[in-house]
Amino acid sequence: MRIFLLLLAFAVSGCAPQPDTVLRGDPLDVMFLQMMLPHHEQGVSMVALAKDRASDEELRMLAAAIESTQVTEIATMKDWLTSWGEPLTAPPDSHAGHGGIRRTKPEEIARLRALRGAEFDRRLLNVLIAHQDDAVQMARWEAGSGAHEDVKDLAGRIEKSRGAQIDMMKRFLGRT
Amino acid sequence: MKTRNRLALASLVASTALAVAFVVPLTTASAHGTMSDPASRVYTCKQEGPENPKSDACKAAVAAGGTQAFYDWNEVSLLDAGGRHRQIIPDGKLCSAGRDKYRGLDLQRADWPAKRVSAGPLTVTYHASAPHSNSNFEFYITRDGWSPTQPLRWSDLVHLQTFNNQNPTTFTNWTLNIPHRTGRHIIYSIWQRVVGSAEAFYTCSDVDFGGGTNPPPTTSNPTPPPTTTTTPPPPSGTWAAGTTYQIGNRVTYNGSSYECTLAHTAIAGWEPPNTPALWKRL
Repeated sequence: MRIFLLLLAFAVSGCAPQPDTVLRGDPLDVMFLQMMLPHHEQGVSMVALAKDRASDEELRMLAAAIESTQVTEIATMKDWLTSWGEPLTAPPDSHAGHGGIRRTKPEEIARLRALRGAEFDRRLLNVLIAHQDDAVQMARWEAGSGAHEDVKDLAGRIEKSRGAQIDMMKRFLGRT
Repeated sequence: MKTRNRLALASLVASTALAVAFVVPLTTASAHGTMSDPASRVYTCKQEGPENPKSDACKAAVAAGGTQAFYDWNEVSLLDAGGRHRQIIPDGKLCSAGRDKYRGLDLQRADWPAKRVSAGPLTVTYHASAPHSNSNFEFYITRDGWSPTQPLRWSDLVHLQTFNNQNPTTFTNWTLNIPHRTGRHIIYSIWQRVVGSAEAFYTCSDVDFGGGTNPPPTTSNPTPPPTTTTTPPPPSGTWAAGTTYQIGNRVTYNGSSYECTLAHTAIAGWEPPNTPALWKRL
């Protein structure tokens, strides 16, 4: 069935014949999930730091809600990949040709870990705005060009919720 | 790439020709970059060092938007651009490509480090940290009379030259014919990928023709967003974005009832049926 879907996706999208065609459809779903999984996990590890470090009450509340919702999304994304018989991670750099996705470096997590209070708040807000802005980029592509409705719906919700989170975080930054 | 497994499977049932055709797009290299000469704003601040920039403009950009933008200097891009630049990037946000991550690049200041230039041929260099074949590069300059203390709008850009079907290397040079200008201007570029992705990259490089009135550096703080007052959550009612819900609050959404299980401020995309992490259906 999956092979059939794959062939169908290529046939419908016309992806097969030329090398200069933009990735879309079924293979894009898989790539999107494999790229978003580690991105989500990094996001979770950053917002988890807020619990003991953030001084702003609203930021702590937002961080906890982001952590909880992304953990749930991670489980959903893993379930899809597993049920399709796809590995959860792609070989390193294999998606770079299609734009790749930024990973927040471990050094940044270490910098955050060392901060407390207002300094932590500012740095987390700026890093998280950048991180979620990257997620919006990827989600927008999947929502527009993916194949599976469930995956596209998730991408659409990621695009909307991360955009709204960024607006909230810019508001928080304005008062730090 | 990941789809290799599937491609391998597919090749068992598909014709050989079809299977071979599948493999081709998977070998594409990644593409990232920006203008290095005249240096784009992101390149300038990256070179100065994201944590301790030297110039006031880069200090302000970091203060306004954080350091991450400058670690990711080679990705001021939109993944799904596909040539729709003018539709998807709003006026005033051309330097950031409309991305919040890069909002520090849009600061309207007359003291961005600028290369001294004059009318005539100018060799520009694009630094592609990961080059990519078959790309189109468009170059623009701001119109006569534009000032860096004004927002950069699409209508401010005058087309210089476009180079299609380019195969950039790590450092690629082009020669542009620069028109007469006075004072500070921006050379704007768009790198539109054609192979494997609809992604496009955007750059703002400040240049100075001299002879301009040098307006004092502006400390253009981004306008603080309006502070919204958090409305106390109704004990029951229809779910609404912007409302802060506490554990135990109940709402209805699309005819169903939900109870909040984690305190949060509701936002679009976090509707109760989609967020079991925040809401329990009753």
